[in-house]
Amino acid sequence: MKKLVRDMFIIAIMKSIPDFKRQPLMLMVLGLISAIPLFFIAIFSQGMIGQGLIGTMISMVAFIGIAAGIQDITWDRYVKIREMIVAMPVHPLSYALGIAIAPLIISLPGIVFFAIIAFLLGVLTFSSIGWLVSALTLCWASMSGLGFLISTYMRKSSPYTLSNLSTLLGIGLIFLPPVYYPEEMLGSYSWISLLFPTSNSAGLIRVYSGLSTMDWGNLALRWILLIAVTAVSIILTVAKAKWRED
Amino acid sequence: MSHAVNSSGLVKVYHSKEKVEALKGVDININKGELYTLLGPNGAGKTTFLRIISTQLLPTSGEAYVLGFNVVDDAEKVREHIAVVPQDVMTYGNYTPWEYCYYFSLLRGMTRAKAKEMSGKALRAVELWDLRNRTCSTLSGGEKKRAIIASVLASDADVLLLDEPTSGLDAVARRKVWAVLRELVQEGKTILLTTHIMEEAEMVSDRLAIINKGEVIAQGSPEEIKALAKERFRILVEGNTKLLPNHNNRVVSFGNKQIIYVKGENEAISLVSKALKKGLKAETAPITLEDVFIKLVGGEIE
Repeated sequence: MKKLVRDMFIIAIMKSIPDFKRQPLMLMVLGLISAIPLFFIAIFSQGMIGQGLIGTMISMVAFIGIAAGIQDITWDRYVKIREMIVAMPVHPLSYALGIAIAPLIISLPGIVFFAIIAFLLGVLTFSSIGWLVSALTLCWASMSGLGFLISTYMRKSSPYTLSNLSTLLGIGLIFLPPVYYPEEMLGSYSWISLLFPTSNSAGLIRVYSGLSTMDWGNLALRWILLIAVTAVSIILTVAKAKWRED
Repeated sequence: MSHAVNSSGLVKVYHSKEKVEALKGVDININKGELYTLLGPNGAGKTTFLRIISTQLLPTSGEAYVLGFNVVDDAEKVREHIAVVPQDVMTYGNYTPWEYCYYFSLLRGMTRAKAKEMSGKALRAVELWDLRNRTCSTLSGGEKKRAIIASVLASDADVLLLDEPTSGLDAVARRKVWAVLRELVQEGKTILLTTHIMEEAEMVSDRLAIINKGEVIAQGSPEEIKALAKERFRILVEGNTKLLPNHNNRVVSFGNKQIIYVKGENEAISLVSKALKKGLKAETAPITLEDVFIKLVGGEIE
């Protein structure tokens, strides 16, 4: 167990710190892309700044989650670093978790930055911090799980195809559903928000930060759905993924 | 002598669009502390064999062991003793040679101090110490390859499995790698190398196997393999080869050049002198591993 955790952190550091040291602009790019809607919200609808900040944080963890699951795994396979790791005394779980955590390390300063702004603007309170972290973690986990699922079932696709797919999915799951805007704006279609881990998490954070209200049944359903998406994608991935080929 | 790697009746069948028998019952024994080469044309089954030994691929049938551990049932034990350079491996541009060695050593369970020590030793061995902090994106092809090899050396693994580690390298870089490999063997490491570069196989191997279409067709030291040919000498003749006197030796022609294979040195000298008298260019030398290889795998142009 100790080695499993140690290896997980080594892989997470190995897959993040060199990139972070040599390409610090990555963090700016990730933060700025996620903050583009916030920029327009700040100009055209200042009353929605809180919604925008929540969307920005969700966007950051969702983008990195899906990118880790699809792009990092695929590139490792492409450059054959994965083959080298398979032949090492490293557990596949350490590898998968390490890969998933790595981009979280890179994006953490950005998430913290937007969280501080949210605190300063009174969108978040100290009592809601636990809920914020839980919802963001589940959003990241479910998006990573979806990414792993896609890269496992499409493992013969080229890394370029999968990179593009990862970007498209990221955009589709972050900018279209109610992540930056309240689901009430969808009227009778507000149930759509339940379908995506991104909008689901955003809805939860809005409730815990007092931007919207929800009955406890609805709240529980959202948590259950988030956990279920994560669990199902991990189960399906584990069923298909092969550390060693046959 | 105990074996570092041994396989018996190793079979691998791929079931893709059509059934492909990549290995058809391969028996190979590699002694501890020797450099053993798998030599074969593209698609011969070299990489498949190496990937099975390195626990990346399951065999269809047969058995294989690394230091007595079964590669299927005791894969985790096997992994503690091996390090692999895969075929066509590439480097991450943002990594430095130092990071390759250091992180990979940590993953093998070394302490940070030990990982630093082994990384330094490996980088010096492949002459990359001065470039250790340069990112791989700024290194030449040969330097990148050596960075990967260094990461394997730093592992301090007992058995190194190297799949065409010098492919794409120029002659100078290739020879540097050979020197490192021979030093490792002198230190007691066992190396399984695959290559299709004949000179490499001849220069670095203690023993080798020629593998073709999934079968081992010859095994032994380079000298033993060369002794499989009836002829001991080759004569390279250039010019109008029709001017040569009649002879019953095996001939391979390339336009106005011919290689004539002869059994004895005297016959070789005699034929060269006759060719020179006819105004042709001619020289003789002992046959090479490549000559035997081409004959064995049946790729000769008669």
